[in-house]
Amino acid sequence: MIRVEGLSAALPQGQALRDVSLSVARGERLGLVGESGSGKSMLGLALMGMVPDAAQLSGRIALDGQDMTGATEAAWQPLRARKVAMIFQEPMTALDPLVRIGETVMEPLILHLKMRRRDARARALDLLAETGLTEPEAKMRQYPHQLSGGQRQRVLIALALACDPGVLIADEPTTALDAQIALRITDLLVRLSRDRGMALIFISHDLAAVARATERLAVMYGGDLVETGATAEVLANPRHPYTQGLIAARPRPDPAMIRKRLPVIPGTVPTLGDLPRGCRFAGRCAAELPRCAGTRPAPWPTASGQAACHLLEPAP
Amino acid sequence: MTRFLIRRAAGFVLTLLAVSVVVFAVMSMLPGDPALSILGIEASPEALAAMRSQLGLDAPAPARYAAWALGALKGDFGTSYAFRVPVGGLIAERLPLTLSLALGAMAVTLVLAPGLGMAAAARHGGPGDWAVMVLSQIGIAVPAFWMSILLILLFAVRLGWLPSGGFPGWDQPLAALRALVLPVIALALVQSAVLARVTRSAALEVMRLDFVRTARATGLPRRRILWRHVLPNALIPIVTIIGMQFAAIVTGTVVIESVFSLPGLGRLLLQSIANRDLITVQALVLLFAAIVVTANFLVDLAYVAIDPRLTGRQS
Repeated sequence: MIRVEGLSAALPQGQALRDVSLSVARGERLGLVGESGSGKSMLGLALMGMVPDAAQLSGRIALDGQDMTGATEAAWQPLRARKVAMIFQEPMTALDPLVRIGETVMEPLILHLKMRRRDARARALDLLAETGLTEPEAKMRQYPHQLSGGQRQRVLIALALACDPGVLIADEPTTALDAQIALRITDLLVRLSRDRGMALIFISHDLAAVARATERLAVMYGGDLVETGATAEVLANPRHPYTQGLIAARPRPDPAMIRKRLPVIPGTVPTLGDLPRGCRFAGRCAAELPRCAGTRPAPWPTASGQAACHLLEPAP
Repeated sequence: MTRFLIRRAAGFVLTLLAVSVVVFAVMSMLPGDPALSILGIEASPEALAAMRSQLGLDAPAPARYAAWALGALKGDFGTSYAFRVPVGGLIAERLPLTLSLALGAMAVTLVLAPGLGMAAAARHGGPGDWAVMVLSQIGIAVPAFWMSILLILLFAVRLGWLPSGGFPGWDQPLAALRALVLPVIALALVQSAVLARVTRSAALEVMRLDFVRTARATGLPRRRILWRHVLPNALIPIVTIIGMQFAAIVTGTVVIESVFSLPGLGRLLLQSIANRDLITVQALVLLFAAIVVTANFLVDLAYVAIDPRLTGRQS
């Protein structure tokens, strides 16, 4: 459905993505995790053709067999919503405050699918009901400020689903929501992906949500894809030191942990301008080798995917 | 919704009341005796006293205010000291010309500026944006009276397309319209420059918001995003400025009418001041204030029409 080969994104302040290769099959649910600044949102935007103007892309992007490498805004525009759709982190501000919910969801139906208003209205109602929005009929006539964050995220999901896209990219869709609502939205996305055979790229830094929602996992750090594999496998048996650190550092409701300090990855994520030339994780890695900072590790096969680390290099 | 309107309407009435008190007080405090200016400095003290009594100037201020305000409510603004005719009649004769100027200039501004501002915002940083910014900077920098003179030199003197000034009267509608073209343009250019800039910056502000990204991710064409989502959200600051601009245009007519020798309210105001015709000045100031307050009231109504969040409007 989506194939990315050697994708790099250069921003004026540094490289946001370096040589990322990744593919997502029809109906597959992929988790994309990493700290802020790891490049996961940039990758999501690249798949929508919506990287900032200042970003210089190189590498290949293919959507549903169509090569979108270097495609213009005009070439991307008809694919958005129809082939690939995206929802964002902040549902509170992601809806036009002056447009009623119904009109918002009807807009792509009328514009892209050339539906008549009456049909679009009926379809919008179905979509809102499908996302589990309560009293969708009444909500159609309301404005965004009359809805809660969770309700707005459901509206945004309905909007994203309007033209039945093959892929939905969800960029931290639950980060701004309460834990309870976040769980429901995560489950909703999984259900919609299954029901519609729609691929889901679930971008998050919440490993629990990713474990719940996805089959395959891609871990990013400093613009590199450091490890991929089956979600359960990667979480149970992480091979890259960064993935290991990320899993160790996640908060757990474990009584034995309560009085202890949360393990953390030492250091902070370097800014784009000071990323090491070799492995991006060099300098923070506990198992660092002399060559790590200078030489970029190749991806080596693991049980269900790949990890880019010099430690995994087979002995000569 | 209804409560909001009632509150605003009450505010409207109270503001006008306050304005009338202030105008009256300022006019009463001004030096200069109307009786003296009517009768001349040769008049005897007895004659002056009689004239003051005839004009009602010997009554205490509150009583004079009450008489004036009650009269104004009925459309009776007293008798002009200088022209010796009812002030109401003087104003009514000239109001259509000034209103045509002001409304015409406002209309031209509304046609020109939002489109230019949106076009500039859409091409942010590009040559189109620069062109609009440079032209609008010039428009803002050039005073309206100087712009008027340039327009007269070009279109009246050099090209001879339009009259350089004067007004033939409304009984010759075509000639009247031709006489209004240059003054309307002179008034509108400055305001268009201001409004185009405000539109541009308001639109750029909105274009950074999350819902614009949502609209883009929904595959909406750029043009539709601009006009359907960005412009409506930029309207609050735009409408605010339009309200202030209408006030600026109305007061701007004073200068423009002088430059183009148009017999409107602005010229009447200057003449009345020159003649110490305080009762006419008083009525005119009240009228200008009423026009400004009305414009602000309309702006408040526009806010409500634009933004559902302001009144918690339900379905």
